Amino acid sequence: MKIKHQLAIFNALTRLLVILVLWLMLPVLIEKVVFKHINKGLIEKKQKFIEHIDKEEINDFIVRKDSSETYASFSTLHNEFLQLSRLPHALGKSKTEFITEPRIIEEEENDYRILQYQFDYENEGYQLEIGSSLSEIQDLTFTIRFFILIVLVIIVVVTFLMDTAYIDYLLKPFYKIIDTKIRRVNEPDTFDHTPINSHSADFQELDTVLNQMMDRISGLFKKEKQFIANVSHELLTPIALLKNKFENLLQNESLNDSAVDKIASSLKTLDMLKKVISNLLLISRIENHQYEANEIIDFKLLVTDLAQDLEDRIEAKNLKFHNQLKEDFHFKGNATLLHILLYNLLVNAIKFNKENGSITLSDSFQNQSYCLFVSDTGIGMNEMQLQKIFKRFTRINEEKEGHGLGLAIVESIAVFHHITIEVSSVTNEGTTFLLRFPNHRKAN
Amino acid sequence: MNILIVEDSPELAIEVKDFLSASGYVCKIAKDCATALDEISSNDFDVVLLDLGLPDGNGFEVLTAIRKTQSKTAVIIITARGELDDRINGLQLGADDYLTKPFALTELGARLFAIIRRMHGFTVNDLKVHGFTLQLQDYKVSFEEDPINLTKKEFDIFQYLVLNKNRVITRLQLTEHIWGDILEVNSDSNFIDVHVRNLRKKLEKHAPISWFETVRNVGYRINV
Repeated sequence: MKIKHQLAIFNALTRLLVILVLWLMLPVLIEKVVFKHINKGLIEKKQKFIEHIDKEEINDFIVRKDSSETYASFSTLHNEFLQLSRLPHALGKSKTEFITEPRIIEEEENDYRILQYQFDYENEGYQLEIGSSLSEIQDLTFTIRFFILIVLVIIVVVTFLMDTAYIDYLLKPFYKIIDTKIRRVNEPDTFDHTPINSHSADFQELDTVLNQMMDRISGLFKKEKQFIANVSHELLTPIALLKNKFENLLQNESLNDSAVDKIASSLKTLDMLKKVISNLLLISRIENHQYEANEIIDFKLLVTDLAQDLEDRIEAKNLKFHNQLKEDFHFKGNATLLHILLYNLLVNAIKFNKENGSITLSDSFQNQSYCLFVSDTGIGMNEMQLQKIFKRFTRINEEKEGHGLGLAIVESIAVFHHITIEVSSVTNEGTTFLLRFPNHRKAN
Repeated sequence: MNILIVEDSPELAIEVKDFLSASGYVCKIAKDCATALDEISSNDFDVVLLDLGLPDGNGFEVLTAIRKTQSKTAVIIITARGELDDRINGLQLGADDYLTKPFALTELGARLFAIIRRMHGFTVNDLKVHGFTLQLQDYKVSFEEDPINLTKKEFDIFQYLVLNKNRVITRLQLTEHIWGDILEVNSDSNFIDVHVRNLRKKLEKHAPISWFETVRNVGYRINV
């Protein structure tokens, strides 16, 4: 999940939590406010009532009704009532109280906020109750809660969208850095040093640090190239010297057989050394992208050339060489390198083949990508061996001469050209190398 | 025939000089760019052997200087793999040939022979050895007017041995000469022997060839 979504979701969740708490507290808050308001009204009414009261009026109130010694009056819709009753004895002082209680007026039960006022008048105790219905208030509370809920939901949705958009805007430089500075950079030479515009100091810093890192890498890269050139010169010159000396030494007629043998074997070792160095240099030069890939290669021609080069070896083992290439495929790459790649594969196919065996080259288009198969009927490899064939200095068969770099070179050339290699092998039956070419280079 | 050897390793330069002097060439050695430029401006050379990795600069400067002043001078670039992007580049820059280190002196000899032959308008067309004639122009061999049918490889081997007569030529040297500078170790595979055997059979039909010697475990030599 991307950080912008995570942030937006987190923000929305916290907002929802706050809103939920608010919403749950709403009834309590409303009750407090409403009760305060009603209480104020009730006190005003009580004040009005008390101001005008006198003995006669009280009697009038109570007597006019019946002998219950209670006077009650209510409004038509039962939302307010007033009730005066005589208490059994005098209280000595007056007292005001608010209560919330259900009352039945003309067989209709409702919740009321009631002011109870107890007072003495001419040595008699009275209780005055003024009530105000709460049913309307309850309806109102419900409406308010519903309305607020809708408003809150709208707020959550709107802020979520705004958050996402804003975070998106903030993170834009970040993705730009990833895209232009990291993903599209294959080698330090093509690195783009233009600063990325960002309002966040963090991304500016990231950009600067990346630029610095890339500068260091380019420096190292250049050093490595220089190193390779130096190694080539400094190692190969003494080898050339030794080789020439040994070859001159061989011309000496007075040498006995064992001396000649020793010189011959030294020359072989020297040759081996030269080839290992050359091959390692080749690999590092490929990996340093010191080759161009701008030649159009015709595989049919290439294979014909190779078959001629390797004719002797194929004949020496009495192998059959089947060239079954039929597709018309031209690939843009480096001719020298691809020559080496196929050469190494074919040499292996010869080297590990059995007498009277065969080598088959075939091709086809699979999912629009060109596939080249190099199959032999050789000794094959098991799973364990298959896993390490591309490792440098790995020699599967100790009896055969080699330095274990052939397939490592094949791999680096393939990687350089974005070719994927698949190998399948059956012990004692043979091995097939499949080269899958990138399809975007097809026939251009 | 004047040759300038531009090489910063004095030992290697002397080794090359000794070999070429023995073949009748007159050699001078320059150990860096400055000396090489001095030599070129004061003397006429037929061939310059040019090592690209020189201590005081790039051998290409010397090449450019040669191309400016002495157009007839042939240049063979000698370089370690890795200093040049590839073989074609060296030749594109105006060199006549290109050898990678380490090279065999006999290979250098063969290249020199080819270059000098070209410089002199292919006047040296035939090589003669014990009654056999190698026609370099059209890769044919004959014995006293009798044509012998050789393959391209057999002819190349024969020519290489004749050019380096009286020298032991190792199988490795022959292999490199025929198949080029291949990068894979195949010293166990003596394909060269097959070709030499066939070559000898074809030659033996016409005359005894005791001068075509096999040097045990090492290679071959043609004695004159």
